[in-house]
Amino acid sequence: MKKIWHIGRLDLKLMVRDKAFFFWILAFPLVFILIFGNLYQGSKTDAKASLTVLNQDTGKWGDYFIAKLKSPGIELSVVTTPPGEYFRMLVIPADFSQQIERKASQKLQFKKDSQADLKAGAMADTKIAQAIVKLLAELVMYGDRDLKDFFDSRSPYRDLVTVRSRLPEGTIAKVPSGFDHTIPGILVQFVMMMVLIYGGISVMEDRKKRVLARILYSSASYAELFGGKFLGRLLMGLLQSAILVGAGLLFFRLNLGNIWISALNILVFAAAMASLSIFVGSVLRREEVIVGVSVLAANMFAALGGCWWPIEIVPPAFRALGMVSPAWWAMDTFHQVIFFAKGLETVWPNFLALLAFAAVFTALALRFFKVSE
Amino acid sequence: MQQKILEIKNLSKSYGETVALANFSLDLGKGEVLGLLGPNGAGKTTLISILSGTLRGFSGGVAFKGQDLFADRNLRNLIGIVPQEMAFYEELNAMENLMFWGGLYAIPEKELKKRAQELLTVVELGARAREPIKKFSGGMKRRLNIAIGLIHKPELLLLDEPTVGIDVQAKVSILDIIRDVGRQGTAVVFTTHQLAEVEQACSRIAIMDKGTILAQGTLAELIRIVGEKEIVEVSGEFSADAFSAIIRQSDGNGMEILSVADNQAHLAFADSQAIPAMMQHLFGHHLPISDLKIKSPNLEAVFLKMTGRSLRD
Repeated sequence: MKKIWHIGRLDLKLMVRDKAFFFWILAFPLVFILIFGNLYQGSKTDAKASLTVLNQDTGKWGDYFIAKLKSPGIELSVVTTPPGEYFRMLVIPADFSQQIERKASQKLQFKKDSQADLKAGAMADTKIAQAIVKLLAELVMYGDRDLKDFFDSRSPYRDLVTVRSRLPEGTIAKVPSGFDHTIPGILVQFVMMMVLIYGGISVMEDRKKRVLARILYSSASYAELFGGKFLGRLLMGLLQSAILVGAGLLFFRLNLGNIWISALNILVFAAAMASLSIFVGSVLRREEVIVGVSVLAANMFAALGGCWWPIEIVPPAFRALGMVSPAWWAMDTFHQVIFFAKGLETVWPNFLALLAFAAVFTALALRFFKVSE
Repeated sequence: MQQKILEIKNLSKSYGETVALANFSLDLGKGEVLGLLGPNGAGKTTLISILSGTLRGFSGGVAFKGQDLFADRNLRNLIGIVPQEMAFYEELNAMENLMFWGGLYAIPEKELKKRAQELLTVVELGARAREPIKKFSGGMKRRLNIAIGLIHKPELLLLDEPTVGIDVQAKVSILDIIRDVGRQGTAVVFTTHQLAEVEQACSRIAIMDKGTILAQGTLAELIRIVGEKEIVEVSGEFSADAFSAIIRQSDGNGMEILSVADNQAHLAFADSQAIPAMMQHLFGHHLPISDLKIKSPNLEAVFLKMTGRSLRD
């Protein structure tokens, strides 16, 4: 074990010493994070749809109606004078109560800011429709009785009718977005790219220079040599992850959900990439070919896996195709944990899939790993 | 011979149809410096690869200090290997390299550091221990390559062509190091195709070709194989067939043909008085000769006699 650590630690040290290291491992991914993070930045009303109500009513029905708009998913703000800024605003006119009492129809104005989040707007629309249905139903049920009794005889804000709305099965009610999506996405992409490039090239160069053979000349066994090379690449992946998570926490208020599950996700994914990089470095013989293949593979896996855009927004066929990429499983785990507050009971199949990728890549690496040309 | 440290018995290895080692046998004593001399393809690197444990699929046996070398992995800790390639990390400095390679032998750090400093002094890199290796000359890199092989104080040091691609001054320095290593009790096997190097550095020489040892002994013992003969090297624009045909027409006069190739041939004369007559014979047949060299019996002559070709072939 000591020899494995000795060999693995050196590979990490050599990577950190590379002149371009901090550019590739920090500056470059940060540019990606800034671009994609802002591109997919979610609206601030996303989690709780804001609804401003301008209540100009002089009777009792305005307040009664507003009470029915209250909901845990709605951030309600009631004003009596028009506000300067709003995402969306419902205007209750001054004669609202009079019109109800006269049983006359009336139209309410619902104004929206063009920049406002559409999904939050849809939530507000639904809530307003629910409130109107409830109010009308209560009026119909009460009939022509005295309105004073209506308010005196019962709690004024008790619903006589409940209206439930539900989205169709399979509808994605929430799309991961913002830096909480982008940082894990770029992390997964750059762990792939950096481990494949640095890890692959160093395996190839060490083989060409017979450094691998020389390690075997010493008292290190084949298993210790392979284990050391694997560990070195795993450490590379973990270092890349730690740097991006650190930057995310420091500059972007990154939320990783359940930190232990996210950490395990990073560990298993980096292990799969560590084995893949040994395989790549074992079968390819030229640096430029390794760089080309690694960049292509990392970007393709990133695109398929939903590192650049939320996989939830792509067509189902593309989503299914993405499962061939280990990045898909890592990203899905992040989304489940970060955005949907899921636990191990939900994401364990993802870990199994990533472990299966790691096992296949390790088998390939072991099959093709050689100490000399 | 001193106490035997290495005994190789009937080692054979083939790559398909190509025989790399054919019943190769060799003994080596403690502190002995053996020069393994052979042309490219003689099987030297194959032998080193087998002894270092990285090449399998051979027959025969190797005993190290009386034990089967391949049965006990710990015996590997007593052997140092210096490959032909500069097999170390150029991104590290010399000290860091020695610390890494020594670390593989689980030497305590303090002891390892001391050993590394001593070795860097021995290979004349003490003043440049912390400099990037990329700035080193070929000779300095070769010396570091040897130091890495010695970091764990091996009892047997195997060097595969340790002087390839460096200048004369650097070669002299490396040969001095090899001699010193032997004097300190480490047995050394040193492969090369440079005759002068084995003459300078080795206490025993083995001539190897086509996977087997053709002759071995001290330099004096090997030269006796040729005898007290004058060696004539004939160079020119001729073919081997033309040269052989002309030679066959002469009466010989105790002359021995050591080697004949296109453009060059080596002849040995027991009686130096016979040389002018032979030259006259060759010129008389209008053989286009451009250069003639008369040499005393040396290792090259032995090699030519044993292999029928020069090391350059």
